[in-house]
Amino acid sequence: MECRVLSIQSHVVRGYVGNKSATFPLQVLGFEVDSINSVQFSNHTGYTHWKGQVLTAEELNVLYEGIKLNNVNHYDYILTGYTRDTSFLETVVDIVQELKRLNPKLVYVCDPVMGDQGSMYVPENILPVYRDQVVAVADILTPNQFEAELLTGRTISTEKDALDLLHQMGPDTVVLTSTDLTSPHGDQFLARIRIEMPKVDAVFVGTGDLFTAMLLAWSHHHPNDLKAACEKTVSVLHHVIKRTITYANEMAGPGKRPNPAQLELRMVQSKKDIEDPDIVVEATIL
Amino acid sequence: MHEMECRVLSIQSHVVRGYVGNKSASFPLQVLGFEVDSINSVQFSNHTGYSHWKGQVLTADELHVLYEGIKLNNVHHYDYVLTGYTRDTSFLEMVVDIVQELKRANPNLVYGVYPSLSPLCYVPENLHPVYKNKVVPVADIITPNQFEAELLTGKNISTEKDAVEVMDLLHKMGPDTVVITSSDLPSRLGDRFLVSLGSQRTLMPDGTKSTQRVRMEIPKVDAVFVGTGDLFAAMLLAWTHHYPNDLKTACEKTFSVMHHVIKRTISYAHELAGPGRKPSPPQLELRMVQSKADIEDPAIVMEATVLTL
Repeated sequence: MECRVLSIQSHVVRGYVGNKSATFPLQVLGFEVDSINSVQFSNHTGYTHWKGQVLTAEELNVLYEGIKLNNVNHYDYILTGYTRDTSFLETVVDIVQELKRLNPKLVYVCDPVMGDQGSMYVPENILPVYRDQVVAVADILTPNQFEAELLTGRTISTEKDALDLLHQMGPDTVVLTSTDLTSPHGDQFLARIRIEMPKVDAVFVGTGDLFTAMLLAWSHHHPNDLKAACEKTVSVLHHVIKRTITYANEMAGPGKRPNPAQLELRMVQSKKDIEDPDIVVEATIL
Repeated sequence: MHEMECRVLSIQSHVVRGYVGNKSASFPLQVLGFEVDSINSVQFSNHTGYSHWKGQVLTADELHVLYEGIKLNNVHHYDYVLTGYTRDTSFLEMVVDIVQELKRANPNLVYGVYPSLSPLCYVPENLHPVYKNKVVPVADIITPNQFEAELLTGKNISTEKDAVEVMDLLHKMGPDTVVITSSDLPSRLGDRFLVSLGSQRTLMPDGTKSTQRVRMEIPKVDAVFVGTGDLFAAMLLAWTHHYPNDLKTACEKTFSVMHHVIKRTISYAHELAGPGRKPSPPQLELRMVQSKADIEDPAIVMEATVLTL
């Protein structure tokens, strides 16, 4: 398989978020992953302490220039996630547009990370950049319900409206990763699916990044079959999360709540599930 | 099946594209089940063998800040530390401070060093004393080539006997495991092969030290690869972990992995370049993800001879 992904996400020294969450599973599935680290932090920000450095929009440009000067700026996919900086995000859009000119078949997979459960955890001025610039060039979008509402400017009472609006803004494939409607809905032009997923009693970090990366991989292998792509993706998440919960509870001890360090995804231990996930959910075609 | 619990702190370069430094070391170690915490000492677009490269470097202070973050969360517990190519003396000195602190936190910690000192890699000479006087004394595994081994010990290698003496000198300086990854020594199998040597010192139950020395004849390759030294050091770490008192097997596995990855890479590079053309640096990037099965379970393709002296 010759498939090259450019992933522009965070790097943490320890743990699995951003590029740390996306790269290993994609590589295990045979994708070449070029990764630009938008930050380098000691660990994710759910721990008691975190320290590190951020990449500026200018520095991002410099890295891209290096790739371009060598004439190796040819990608099949781009993947982005959590970003806090508007000029950084705007530079990402410029890069995506240039890469699409070079390869019109390029697929931009975008997780428009802005918040959850009614509150934003990025600066508010990121929203217009996503809404007016990013989503227009995205091909696969993975918002949660809150982000879908922010992007469309409407509360979601029916999935159909939200999905239609998001399609109109750009992406042919939209997966609402979690909704108060208790089940995520995926939509690919002319095909709609629904998946029921068991809730988990823990807060995980990095699962969204893993989800988006695996959706990239499985929609690559099942390009006109969102049902199969989503079943595989959700199944991988299930296996990784289940293994992680077991381990975290073991580490914490009976009756104690696991801490963020203990709750880091059991990524390398889940290699086999990543390579060939047992399907444990079924998507219904609506 | 009991899962392996082994955490490596790898402090190496990151390149956006290609396989050197942490890009070369992380995936194979993860594929073998190691948890890899990685501090990226630089972020470059690609390695410096391409026509162009651009990016940013981490300062010694920034390295310290990252380590502080790990420490504040009380998760600075490692089984291994791995370092390779570094250009900056104060950065390297900070690495040594970190290693010493991590060793106090875990006296069983093993520090693997790829002492990249070749002037071809733009390593300034003021790094040599830092390696000699500070890094090597705290190293447990070291993977110099002949040039680097000579530089660190101040002794030339013209014969196998010289090489054994140099490895003994390196043992005295610090590391119990030494592998001279390549040398100019004449091979028994002719001039299409180069000679690698290894030496491992172990403490016997009765308190005496025993040394196992091995020699391998490695087929030469007609290309310049970048990232192979980093991959070698990472894989030697992995295989000595699984074979802690058996350098022969650890070396056979490590050199075999290298062989498979390089062979796959050469084939692909020539395919891309076309007949009669020399492959370019981008074409010569290691076929790392494609070599996953070989990394997980390398077919042994060369035998190490145990030296009896």
